[in-house]
Amino acid sequence: MSENKPSIWQRYLSANPVTISFLAILLGFIVGAGVIIFSSADVLHAWSQIFNSPGGILHALKVTFDNVGAAYRAMFTGSVIDPTTFWHALSTGSGWDAALTPLSETLTYAAPLVIISIGVAISFETGLFNIGANGQAILGGIAGTAFGSMIHLPMFLHLPLTLLCGIAAGAFFGLIPGVLKALTGAHEVIVTLMLNYVVAFFLLYSLLSTPLQLPGQANDLSRVILPSAQLPTFFNTATTLRVNWGIVIAIGVVAFGWWFLNRSTMGFDFRVTGANPNAARASGINPKKIIIYVFLISGGLAGLAGVVQVDGTTHSLDGGFLIGSAGIGFTAITVSLLGRNKPINVFWGAILFSALGVGGRIMQAETGIPLDLATIIQSAVVLFVATPVMVQEIFRLREGTVHTIQLNTKGWGS
Amino acid sequence: MTTVTTPVNVIRRDTPVGRTRVIGGIMIAMALFIMWVFAFGASSKATSIITFNPLNTSGGAPWTLGNLTVPSRLSDVVLALIALGTGIETIVRIPAKRVMARFGFVSVLFLLGLFVWTVRSGGPSPTNFIDLTDILVNASGITMVLIYGSMAGIMCERAGVVNIAIEGQFLGGAFVGAIVASATNSFVFATFAGAIVGALLGWVLAFFAIRYRSDQVIVGVVLVTMIGSLTNFLNLTFLTPYQQFNTGVTPNSIPIPLLDKIPIIGPLLFNQNMFFYLMYLLVGAMSFGLFKTKWGLRVRAVGEHPQAAASVGIRVKGVRYFNTILGGAIGGVGGVAFIALHGQFNPGFTSGLGYIALAALIFGRWRPAGAVVASIIFGLTSMLASGLQSFNVPVSSEILGMFPYIITIAVVSGLIGRVRAPAADGIPYKQD
Repeated sequence: MSENKPSIWQRYLSANPVTISFLAILLGFIVGAGVIIFSSADVLHAWSQIFNSPGGILHALKVTFDNVGAAYRAMFTGSVIDPTTFWHALSTGSGWDAALTPLSETLTYAAPLVIISIGVAISFETGLFNIGANGQAILGGIAGTAFGSMIHLPMFLHLPLTLLCGIAAGAFFGLIPGVLKALTGAHEVIVTLMLNYVVAFFLLYSLLSTPLQLPGQANDLSRVILPSAQLPTFFNTATTLRVNWGIVIAIGVVAFGWWFLNRSTMGFDFRVTGANPNAARASGINPKKIIIYVFLISGGLAGLAGVVQVDGTTHSLDGGFLIGSAGIGFTAITVSLLGRNKPINVFWGAILFSALGVGGRIMQAETGIPLDLATIIQSAVVLFVATPVMVQEIFRLREGTVHTIQLNTKGWGS
Repeated sequence: MTTVTTPVNVIRRDTPVGRTRVIGGIMIAMALFIMWVFAFGASSKATSIITFNPLNTSGGAPWTLGNLTVPSRLSDVVLALIALGTGIETIVRIPAKRVMARFGFVSVLFLLGLFVWTVRSGGPSPTNFIDLTDILVNASGITMVLIYGSMAGIMCERAGVVNIAIEGQFLGGAFVGAIVASATNSFVFATFAGAIVGALLGWVLAFFAIRYRSDQVIVGVVLVTMIGSLTNFLNLTFLTPYQQFNTGVTPNSIPIPLLDKIPIIGPLLFNQNMFFYLMYLLVGAMSFGLFKTKWGLRVRAVGEHPQAAASVGIRVKGVRYFNTILGGAIGGVGGVAFIALHGQFNPGFTSGLGYIALAALIFGRWRPAGAVVASIIFGLTSMLASGLQSFNVPVSSEILGMFPYIITIAVVSGLIGRVRAPAADGIPYKQD
């Protein structure tokens, strides 16, 4: 390291969190491209024929780029903006619905993802690993649906109480691993993972039994949340624009997360515990109390995410609620690792991964490449983010400020 | 009895006093449950039939054993009293050893009481007999997969690498195993293919954990998700259009002459597929290897105190790489064993079995024999969840499905008492 202050350019090329994140995303897409190439019969066939004709290698390259390009193009146009429909709207003044639908979808899916990711980021920042966010969110969704669909109240009471129900259910469910860890030392990873399976069964159970199941329905479908409890959308419900007040709540949660981690006393205790548990204990912070509060807050936010999802977007539950390809809880883990637990970065990470998910659906519809590609890309991104030294070596970056992410919980408890 | 008395404060308890009391309390609660729900839930005239002959006798039937017809209420009362006695004994005497063995005994009594109650004549169940052999044989499949998984975990964790990716190794091994088994119709080839894929995944874990000292739990969880979605992806792009690669072949049972004729034990232990016998070898080899050989001593030294191990010339990273790759291979074979059980590959069909295997190895205190016992308990519980539904038990199948997971939570929450992982488990090794 030189004594001189590095130039801006040198700083960009050092292993700092922003550069590492961008490069990790790039590597993730390269991995995804590799998966597309090796699973596409067309591409493999083209490569097997490169010696049969003089232009074989060019043809093979073209087929490769066409396939990968089509997939990623569908992902982009499906989640951000489709230039043709956008131009059409711009030139004719009509069709703005269709032009804005991709963005609206991305924001709609981002709302719960932002909220749950802030919750996971708070647990990470304290050195705890809440993989149970998925279950907490589902339970929040169940509680919110039950309250929103079966109780009749005026809207100014009904909507906030429905959201509170979700928060309470998620917090309660977060309390289980928190208390077990604080009292018995049970490793939160196993407990929360197992609770996810328990919740999956509970979701089916509640959708197939009397109070919550849609009356007259034999399938796993819930009652519909009453209009007085639904999160209002920004636009007329006749349009395809589903973006709703959930995204505003999400921005509020980001602000809360920033305030909590950076300005509040408890957040300070959390971060001290996360940075060095022994120092925290020595300075009089009760680690058991911290563990329980972390899971309470993290679970509460996950529950809020669940209720925002059902209350703003789907309005009723089905058996696949929030489970999807890998579950919103897993995506939240990747998002908060990508954002390195900084609420504002987490927000942008959530928008990106939400776009990846929304675009992945369009990609599946248009090119037949399964949606799971989005999850593969996400996992790859987070693997690289969690291993900054590797990214640094691949791109030959200078030493920087980034550190390998380490959790506090080592071994398997008491 | 020896005349040498040990001072009280030297007794090394497996389970602390307070926790022993709690476990004793749980045992008494279970006894009372047998009494109130099972014994008095059956009419005094009801009888239950317990049979011992397997329903499926394709591999050759064992010597037949007569059916046992018992009065439902009376036998449940007896079971409850035995359980109550054990529970009270635990609370009063606070034994220093074998608290968990007592708990296991009461759990078995509880299961027996449950069976007697579910199949009582005049009850809701369509059949009023319970086939003990069949239950055990049904549970043996899941148990086998769990044993493979926990061996995979022990192999890595004894060397200080947390292998939370067992689930991913299962899925990877199962995917490749299904393809190779369908294509070649040979489970020997499938086993090798599964082992190679598992080893590859083990290498990835080792690469990130050892070379880059990444957090092993994060890498493990990410690997599971990646393999999960990759197998989903390939299942849709490859197995769905080419169904000849996912035909659902299963290996034949290989009866061991004479031994397979023993009632109950024969069908359970000596008339199974090749993966079962491979498992015996694996458990035996690992118990011996880890605790009786020089290699095992080195592995455990690396897992307990890598710096000390390095100071006597053991190549810490080399040992960790080798064990993690070997553990991954065992996990991959476990996946093939799961395919052998299940037939066709379905995305995500291991449904958390890898994590339960992880809990089993913790329950078994990082010892192969202990993990086997734990796997049997988990296997029985899982079977119970699916098996009880056929008896029209008045509990919904979704609630029963939660059982194995709740028991896993109970186990890792220290129902077992003090567990001590290898001291360097999960801690990246930094060469000075």
